Formats: sequence, C-alpha cells, structure tokens
Amino acid sequence: MKRNLIIATMVVFAVSSIFLLCSCAKKQVVAEEEEITAPPVGPEVVIVEEEELPAVEVAKEVVEEEEVVETYDIGLPEEREVEAVEEGLAAKFEGKSIYFDFDKSFIKPEYRPVLEEKAALLKDNPDIHVRIEGNCDERGTNEYNIALGERRANSAKSFLVSLGISPDRVETISYGEERPLFLGHDEDSWSKNRRDDFLIIGE
Amino acid sequence: MMKLKSILVSKILSNMRAIFRIPVWILVLWIGIIVQTEAVEGKLYIDITSPSMKRISIAIPDFRYLGERNEHPDLGSTLSGIMSNDLDLSGYFRPLDKASFIERPGSGFTRDSIHFKDWSVIGAELLVKGVYECIGQQLKVEVRLFDVFSGKQLYGKRALGLVDQSRYLIHRLGNEIIQALAGHAGPFLTKMAFVGTSTGHKEIYICDYDGHNLKQLTSYNTITLSPRWSPIGDRMIYTTFRNSATVLFMNDIVKGSATKISDRKGLNIAAAWRPNGEELALTLTISGNPDIYLIDTTGKILRRLTKHWGIDVSPTFSPDGKKMAFVSNRSGSPQIYVLDLISNQVERVTFEGNYNTSPAWSKLDRIAFAGSLNAQFDIFTISSDGGDLHSVTQGQGNNENPCWSPDGRYIAFSSNRTGGNYHIFIANANGQNQRQVTFFEGDQFSPSWAQHSK
Repeated sequence: MKRNLIIATMVVFAVSSIFLLCSCAKKQVVAEEEEITAPPVGPEVVIVEEEELPAVEVAKEVVEEEEVVETYDIGLPEEREVEAVEEGLAAKFEGKSIYFDFDKSFIKPEYRPVLEEKAALLKDNPDIHVRIEGNCDERGTNEYNIALGERRANSAKSFLVSLGISPDRVETISYGEERPLFLGHDEDSWSKNRRDDFLIIGE
Repeated sequence: MMKLKSILVSKILSNMRAIFRIPVWILVLWIGIIVQTEAVEGKLYIDITSPSMKRISIAIPDFRYLGERNEHPDLGSTLSGIMSNDLDLSGYFRPLDKASFIERPGSGFTRDSIHFKDWSVIGAELLVKGVYECIGQQLKVEVRLFDVFSGKQLYGKRALGLVDQSRYLIHRLGNEIIQALAGHAGPFLTKMAFVGTSTGHKEIYICDYDGHNLKQLTSYNTITLSPRWSPIGDRMIYTTFRNSATVLFMNDIVKGSATKISDRKGLNIAAAWRPNGEELALTLTISGNPDIYLIDTTGKILRRLTKHWGIDVSPTFSPDGKKMAFVSNRSGSPQIYVLDLISNQVERVTFEGNYNTSPAWSKLDRIAFAGSLNAQFDIFTISSDGGDLHSVTQGQGNNENPCWSPDGRYIAFSSNRTGGNYHIFIANANGQNQRQVTFFEGDQFSPSWAQHSK
C-alpha cells in the first residue's frame, strides 16, 4: 500500500514534470536549464545537481611526436650541394637573382639579359641541372604567396625554355613568403624579397 | 507489548506523514520552477540578435574553500580567475575588478545568505558565487549565478573532477552559464591550432581556445603551414615542405599518427575540409597552373574544381558543403570568389580593395577574409552573396588569417598590433571585444578553431 502510494506519487510527478517541461521548452531558451537549477525554496531542497564528469585523459590528446616525426631538412642555401660544380660557374649562374613587381609574376624587361646570360651558361654546360626558387614579400597570405612564388619560378623557367633549354634540366620550387632575405617591413626589403633565386643542383 | 505496538503505530504514522509530505515538497519545487522560469523569461539577459551588445557587469569573487583541511588554498583565486577570463573572452560580460568588492564578512554563497546590496552598490548586475572542496586530487566545485537586483538564482551546478582538470571543469560550467543566459553554449571547451615559430622553424601547435595547454604537434624542422582541424576536431591537415616540395599531411589527433595525403609534383597546399569530413579541397599544380581539386582523405582526386590561368588557392566550404569560396587573381588582383559545386557557376564576392584573401566560411553563413586597402591588412566579413560588408578590425597593425569558432559566433585571426610578432586574437563575430589569447615566443599565425573532439 505504502509502496503503491510512492509509485503513484512518482508517476504523478513524472507526468507533470514532462508536461511542465514541454510547456516551457519553446518559450525562451534561457529557461531550458531550469529543471536542474531549482531555486532554494526550503532547506530540504537540493539546489544543485551533482554531475560526475568523465575522467579527462588529456594525455590521449597529445600526439606522440616520435610516431609523427621524420625530420626533413630543406637545407639552407650555403649547405646545398655544389661541390660537383666548378666554383666560377656556380658564382656566375647563381650570383644574380631576378626581381618582380608586387603580386606579379611576369619577367620585367630589365631582367631579360640576366636570364639570357643564364641560358647561355646552361648551353655551354649541357650537363648541369638547375633549380629556380620563387619567393615573395611578406604581404598577403602564405598560401597565395606560395602559389605566386611558383608562378615566378615558372615564368623564369618558361623564359629559359623559350631560349632552347630543356625543361628537364630546370626544376622549380616556391617558398612563398617563407624565406625572406631582408626582414624589414618596408618597400625596400619587400622589393628585394620578391625574387627568383637560381641554383645549380648537380651535373 | 503495548508499548512496542504504540511505537510501531507511531512509526507507521510518521512514515505516512513523510509520504504525504512528498506531494507538498513536489508542489513547492514546481512553484519554484514556475516562478523562476517566468522571472528569467521576463528579463532577456543576453540578446544575441542585437548588433552591438552592452556587456553585463559581473562580480566573480574568489571561490571559497568549504572543507576542513585547507588543501589547495590557491585554487580559490585560480578557479574564479579561469571563470572570469572565460566570461570576459565571451564578450558578453565585463568582470568587475576584485579590488572594488566590499562584501561584508560572514556572507554565504546561497541566496539567503548573500547581501545583494553589497554587490549592487559597486555596479554588479550579476554575481557568481563559487565554493570548492578537495580531498587529495579530488575536486568538487559548486557555482551559483545570481541576479543582483532581484536576488534570484539563475544557475547552480556542482561539478566533480580532479584538481588537474580544474580548467576543464570551470570551462564546462562557464559554457552552461552562457547557455542559461544566451541560449547557446559558450566556446570555452574549444581548441585552437596555429603555426608557431618559437623553435626557429614553422611548426603546428595546438592549445585550448584561451591559449592554455600548449602542445607542439609537428616537429619537421622545416616550414609547416595551413593547419586545419577536421569538422569534429579528430584530425588535422597541414602542408609541410619536404625535400624542396610541398606535401599535404593528415594527423590523427587521437591515435597520434601522421599520414601523407598528397605529394604530387608541384604544389600540394592550402587544403580545406568539406563539412562531411570525408573530402578535402586543395591547390595542386599538376596541370602547370595552381588550381583547386577535390580529393578524398586518402588523397585520391575526385574532381577538378577550378580551371583557369590565374592562381586559385585557399578554398573554404559553405556549411552545407555545396559551395566553396576561394581566392583567385583571375581579375588581375587576388579576390574572393564563390563556386557553386552543383551548377559550377563562379561568382566574385569581393570588390572593395585590391587585395582580398584568406576566406573562411562560418557555420552561420558569413565569409570572413583579410583585405588590404593600403598595404595594411584588416579582417572583414561579408554575407555569402558578397553583400553586407562589415569590418572586424580597423587598422590595429596587420590583421590576417581569419577563422571562425565552430559555432560561427567568434572569429580568430593573427595580428601584429602589439608590435613585431604576430599573435592570435579572438573577437565576437561583429568584431567587438578583441582579445589576445596567445602570448608565446616568436610568431603565432594561421589559426584553426575546433570543437573539443570528445
């Protein structure tokens, strides 16, 4: 009898609560939490809900570096392999960079002689392979600048190819804005960073 | 015998009385709920539809230790500090300076024992009262939020965990406070990824949204760029320079493994997740020109998305995955375009300024981008059809690489406004309340923002 009464009471409460919650739910989002935050209406009412939180295993989120890592070294300019190549030739071929206007990748007329000289060196030394590295100034996004640097490198490559150099001898890479030679934040530095560098990468 | 019987009877009677009290108790509880519901409904605390919001003054005194032994006494100010920082960063609140608090001694943390006048007189509109207990590493925190003027309790909850998890616990309670007042969860359990230069190389780092819990994710010792969390925060893609080429990698954050996704000849850069988490868009130059392709997460090309002589980079998908914004210089300068993946129509959406880049499409259907009017970059947002241009930053240094919080209510970007290095800042979507959240050595840029993966 006593048990039935308790059950009956609980059913009444449950049904009424559902009705109450349903009737409140739509009205205003701020009220949604109310079923767990009843205000203190008497000393016997438990106001706060206990909530057992799952253990947070922060360690799991950490990617273990050993598993991820192989180290790749893209190499700094001075470390590159040029020992197979005659010093003078390297200096002649690599000495002059060509420069670009902001957000442009066409070869400016004043740099045509520079590329013609490089083409002549490539013709005189038919065994060497070279790399053109396109670079940008710091303005704009890293992503756009990698694509722009690629175009700058390809512009120079196309120019060399148009002068009769085999495309197989010329590889390109873009470093975008990632490898500035000058670190100033002004047009003087920027103009010197918008460049193609030329490297002999082997025979 | 009689005595025993009378004890039994009185016991039964008292039990019966207890049973009969239950409905009364329930009724009281109901009334409480109804009264409170109406009270909260009657006052709109945070109107998220308002274009500019007045921040609510909130007092968050140090949490009080409740136990017998005074373990971890420093937690009192640590816990209130975490909550204060969260509520401040939310942009909805203005936490009051603790030095202005004049609460009289002996005040409690329940409605009946708080002298609300002590708080209204210093200008507090809301009051957060917190208490905590520690047993060894076990931590119990109880937080209650009160309306200072009406003296009503608006929120109350107890959270259990470990002392080491106190940031997590407070972030969770903070999320619920935002939920109670604004109708949506707060951003306090989200994560940030960015490119950092503190090692001298460019590597990917991850941390909590507020800059805490920093971890270095990659150690390639070269240049690693463009981190992008997967839609549910379980994976990260990025581009790294390897053997003088760019390669797209994907890290499984849970397993801790890195997989090569695309290392085609030429560029493999600037990938973005489609919201289904199964497809990526990235820029490849296999045709000789930077174009955007759709690939699956194993790297297989599904479709070429752009075909134009110009540079096409930096894709970002609409929330339904049916459209993609990207940067193209096809008109002569970098501008934002939107491609409809079903009709294949392309439309230019930015027209102001000569350099607009770095689009990010929010869950609430706005596109943020970095634009330059005069050498300086600022963050702007537009609607997805290009209308309703709004500036988020206004020349406080350079502001670049915007990204959205998972719910689209906040925006993160990198800025060098503090002089020199770039750091990550967050702001409300409308640009209000800009706050620096990373203070690490070197530069931090290119943020990506994700929900907690659990």
